[in-house]
Parts: sequence; C-alpha cells; structure tokens
Amino acid sequence: MKGLGLISRLLPLGESLLAGLVGLAVGAIIMLIYGFNPIEAYFALFRGSFGSLYSLSEALANATPLILTALTFAIGLRGGLFNIGAEGQVYVGALAAIAMSLFKLPSGLHLVLTLIVAMLAGALWSLPAAILKLTRGVHEVISTIMFNWVAHFLAYYLIANILVDPRRAEKTISILPSARFPILVPKTSLSYGLLVSLFWVGLALFLLWYTTIGFEVRAMGFNPAACRYAGIKRWRTALFAFLVGGLTAGAAGGVHVMGRPPSYAIFSGLGGLLNLGFDGLGVAMIGRNHPIGIVLAAIFFGGLMAGGRLMQISPGVPLELIRVVEGVIIVALAVPELIRIFRLFREKITIWRRG
Amino acid sequence: MKSRIRLFTLLVAVALLIGGLMVVTGGASAGVALKGKVAVILDVGGRGDLSFNDMGFKGTDEAAADFGLQMDAIQSASDADYLPNTRNAAVSGQYDLILGVGFLLTDAFNTVAQEFPDQKFAIIDSVVPQPNVMSIVFAENEGSALVGALSAMVAAYYGYPKVGVVLGIEIPVLYHFEAGYRFGIDWGNKKYEQITGTNPNIGLLWTYTGTFSDIAKGYAASQAMLAQGAGLIYNVAGPLGIGDLQAVTEAVRAQGREAGPPFMIGVDANQDWMGDGHRVLASMMKRVDRGCYKAVADVVYGTFQGGIVSLRLINRGIAISRYQDLLDFIQFGINAGAITEADKPKIISNWLEMRSKIPYWIWDAVSELEMKIVSGEIVVPTANTIEEMQAIRAQYPLP
Repeated sequence: MKGLGLISRLLPLGESLLAGLVGLAVGAIIMLIYGFNPIEAYFALFRGSFGSLYSLSEALANATPLILTALTFAIGLRGGLFNIGAEGQVYVGALAAIAMSLFKLPSGLHLVLTLIVAMLAGALWSLPAAILKLTRGVHEVISTIMFNWVAHFLAYYLIANILVDPRRAEKTISILPSARFPILVPKTSLSYGLLVSLFWVGLALFLLWYTTIGFEVRAMGFNPAACRYAGIKRWRTALFAFLVGGLTAGAAGGVHVMGRPPSYAIFSGLGGLLNLGFDGLGVAMIGRNHPIGIVLAAIFFGGLMAGGRLMQISPGVPLELIRVVEGVIIVALAVPELIRIFRLFREKITIWRRG
Repeated sequence: MKSRIRLFTLLVAVALLIGGLMVVTGGASAGVALKGKVAVILDVGGRGDLSFNDMGFKGTDEAAADFGLQMDAIQSASDADYLPNTRNAAVSGQYDLILGVGFLLTDAFNTVAQEFPDQKFAIIDSVVPQPNVMSIVFAENEGSALVGALSAMVAAYYGYPKVGVVLGIEIPVLYHFEAGYRFGIDWGNKKYEQITGTNPNIGLLWTYTGTFSDIAKGYAASQAMLAQGAGLIYNVAGPLGIGDLQAVTEAVRAQGREAGPPFMIGVDANQDWMGDGHRVLASMMKRVDRGCYKAVADVVYGTFQGGIVSLRLINRGIAISRYQDLLDFIQFGINAGAITEADKPKIISNWLEMRSKIPYWIWDAVSELEMKIVSGEIVVPTANTIEEMQAIRAQYPLP
C-alpha cells in the first residue's frame, strides 16, 4: 500500500515529464519551420535558466511572485472556487507597497510593515468578490475578472497622478531603500523576497492539511453536497480561500516591487506586474495545485522566462517566436491537470443533477 | 635560375611578413581588438514602429554591415526584462558594444555599467553618468521648433484655428518636443503676422497618451483634435503615428480628397512617405540611426569615450525632412514591408506636389528659423522637469 502510494505520487511527475517532452518537441518543430536550430536554441534556454548560479538566480527571481499568485489560484481551487482575481490583487498589493514609501520609517520595520500592508491590500481587494459570491451568488470568475479591470485602471490613475515620481513621469516613486528586500545573490535580480514565497508555501501546506478549516476547504472542493450534509459552512471555506488567496497575491505584488532591481517601482502601463496573476494560474496547473508542485512549476516557469531571454542572444531567435515556443511548452504541461479539473467539475455537475 | 626564383620568393615572403607585422602592430597600437559583435537592446516599443526603434535598429545594422560586425537585437517584453537583458549581454562578454535604444533602459544600464566597468555601453536618449557609457542625447526642442513654426503657418494658410500634438509616455525627453513645439508655434504666429499683417493666433491641442505602443490611442486622440479644428497633428509617440495618420487620412477622405490638409507631422524617422506621400507634410527627424552608427564607429576606430554626445541641428543629428531624406526613407519603408517598390514614383510625385502647394515664404521662414538656431541667435527653450515644462506652458499658453 505504501509502495502504491509512492507510485501514485510519482505518476503526476511522469505525466508532466511526458507532457513537457511533447511541448519541447512541438516547439522544436515550430523553430525548425522558421529556420532556427532547435538544439542550439534549447541549449541557450537551458544555459539561461539553470546553467549557472546567475541563471538559476534569475529563474528563482522570476519564480518568486509566481509561487504566490499560483497559491492564490490553488487554494481557491482546492475549495472548489475558480478564483482568478490574483492579477488585480497583485496590482493593488504593489500599489500599496509603493504608497508605503511615502513615509519614512526605520529600516527593518519599514520592510515588514510594507509587506503586511501589501498583503492586507490584496486581501481587501479579494473581499468584494467573496461577498458577492456569498450574498448574491455571483460567480467568482465573473466578479474577479471585473475587479481585475477595476484594479487595472485604478493603477493607471494612481501611477500617473498620485504615486508618480516627480522627476520621472513614466514611473511611480521607488520603494525606499529601507523597505527593499536585500539582494540574495550579488549582481542578480534575486532578492530575499524569495523567502516570503517559501514561507507562504509552508503556511499553505500547514493550513490546508493540518488545520480544521483547511480540511473543510478541501472537503468543500471534493464534494460540496457531502459538506453541507456534514454541517461544514460554505461561507467559512469560501471566505478563507478568498482572503488567504488575497494575502498571497498582495504579497506577490509587494515582493515584486520591493525586491526587483533596478527600479523598485511600477512603470506606467504596469510593465513587469502585468500577467503575474495569470501566469500564476498556469503555474498552479503545472504544479497540480499543490504547494510543493507549485514551487517546482514556478521555478520551471521562471527558468523558461529567464532562458528565453538568452535565446535572443545566441541563436538569435526573435522574441515573438520565443514566446510562441514558451506558450506551447506551458500549455502542454498544463494539459494533464486541465483534464483532471474538467473531470472533477463534470462529476460535480452529475452529482448536482442527481440531486 | 632556380636560386634566383628562390631568392625572389624569399624576398616576397619577407616583405609579406614585414607588411603583415606592420598591419598587426598598427592595429594593436590603435588599441582595437574587436570581438566582432554588437548588441542592440530595445525597450518595450520594439521593432516595427517605423520610427524610433526601427531607426536604432537601422543605424546599428548599417554600422555593423559597414564594419563587418555581427549585430544581435534583443527585444524586451516588459520592463522587468531591461536589467536581465542588459546583464545577459554583458555577462556573455562577446560584445564590443552594448547599445541601449531608449530612455526606459536608463536604470538597467546604470546598474550593469557599474558591474562591468570594462564593457563599453552606449544609450540613446538618456544620460547615464558612468565612464564606460556613451550617452547620446538629442536637441529635440530645436527640431520641434522648426515643425512648430511650419505647422502654425501652414494651419493659418489653410484657415485652420489649431494644431495638435499627440505625445507618448510623459518622460523628460518628450518635454523637449513639447517645449520646442510651443516655442515654434509662437514664433510661426509672429512671423505670419510680420508677413501678412494679421496674427493667426494658432492654438495648440496637446495630450500625453501614456503609451508608446497602443496605436488606437493615437487614433482616438488625433480624431478628437481634428474635430476641434486642428490642421496638423504632430506625432511624438513613435508607433502611435500610424493611428494619428489613420485619423488624418479619414478626415482628408471625408472631404473627398486624397491629399492633405489636414496633415500629420512625422517624428524620429522620415515618415513623409507614409500616407501615399501627401498626408505627412514633414518630419522632425531625430537621427537615432546616426547616433547608433556613431557609437559603433567610435568603438571600431578606438575613439570611444564615455560622456554625453549631443546631436542637434548644427551637426545634422536633428533635421526637418527634405527631398533626399524622402528618397532614403522610402527604401526604409520598402524594407519594412509597409510599401512596395511600385508605390515609389507615386509617393515622390505626390510629395513634391504637396510641398509645392505651400507658399515659398513659409519655407523661407522655416529656413530662417533654422539658420538662427544654428547660428545661436535664437536659443529654443527646453524642459527636463515638470516644473520647467509648466513654466514654458505658462509662457506659451497658445489657447
């Protein structure tokens, strides 16, 4: 039985490897069609992602916010919610962090307070969707998408008018040095912000598998009807999933601006913050919505982004084509989990139909 | 006989050897040991804007071809890529020069230039105060003054009350354009009064769209300006010009014509060939290509130096478009796939017709302003901060 357990745990890894190989093969064919040497390109991809301490640091730096936004989605899905509000909560978290640099505070305290405010801002932004869901039954996909856009344009306004750097109108003021995460590996983009992500991974593991509320959340995801029968309160699990998801997404925005050199600011157009939430969705899928899987998937995802940059330099593959290849690999990797989720939802619908 | 041949061969060989040595030592004494590659890093604007980025690409490409170097172009998908892209290029150690095209790369270059003090860098449109960085800046205010004067007088001539300018993201570089344009319009108004006896009081409509990539915003802004009576729209947002021109074209066609007015004023590249050659009156050419070329050439000749290189009217780094520029840049458009070889004669004849319809005294006045700026008799104001810009807006309100 124990052996079977191990195999069933390793099976997803095998599936992912197979899916990854299929993705790489399709990507290679695309590059061949456009006249680029895929072996050379993939070698650059590897070198740029995990080939050296520098590359690995860049991969981890990219993974840092993705781990957090993937947790947002994963915790929601574990509780049977399709929460895709991480994108907007990232913006709000980052804006709140920037706003904290309007104040001067002692070094360590400033950093901690900024991070907490960013997380709270993210959680606050997830609240309306939760309330709409629980009181009016508004589906979270609709409400979170809409709140993403509200956050988007709120951010545009704040960046250009309130938080703007008076000397550099294209960006906000920078996070003050007292609130920045120090760089972990010199001359790379990797900061101590990574520890925040890892802390949340541990916390999510603990909350979901070692607390009552975590059990209730997971049970709700498996079978809402049985939960109702067992007296588990729907509002408790949904609120928990939304709020914890908001905290991690807010942390993602905060960590990104507090730990990403050289500017430590948000650019107009949202630049580097854009798609952190949606990429997290992909990371959660590849990582099978499990905190540990998410860490591995985020590092892989981050490596793909870092290595993709190098593909421009050495085989000279244009950026557009690199993104196509990256997209193909990611989609291929997400397929196994997508199939599982669809199956799950179909089962749920059949249960619901049977009454 | 045989020995003579041998002797001759020997002499030739010695001569070749000495010659070769001289070449080698000559090369070494100039301090040039080239790796044979240059990298050009683009910001989020990216390729295909027929303007700023494509100009940077063109200049570096031409220099690379002329000097037998290989060029790698590195695009940035978002601002999170600036630092890693710059660092990757520096870490690779294979580039004689890393060239950044765009102000937005400032922070990344400042950081990486300090980490790699032996690597040569050049950046367009920004000042990075490091000894190994050549900062190439342009006097956009001078060129904008010329097109401002032209715009005001042409608008007055065709009976329009306003001119417009569609700007991109509010960065200091764009203040140079706005400041110069305001000064130029004011100068044009006064000159027009001097010649005709009435001041047309051409007003200015201006907007910062907050983007260098969203073409639809250029279209929307231009449409609004044209509806308010703008006779010319100055594009100061690279690719947004494509949207500006679309709006201008629709306004022209609504009057049952193909040729302007209203006109667009092009920017950075010569964009006169766009709009079939008769809807873009002139371009404020900012020769980003020449800046890039100079940086590469300096590296090749061993004369590369950190510090500020200022390109302006007097050294042809800034210019108002002329006939020869049209011919050069039609080729640029053909290479980019925007037009075909077959369009060329029509564009040229359209352009000549458009320009000849503007009275000679307007062109003379623009030339006069140009001479006075070059000679230093007129100093065009500029702005680098919001405060300075507001002061200039107060001085030239152009209602």
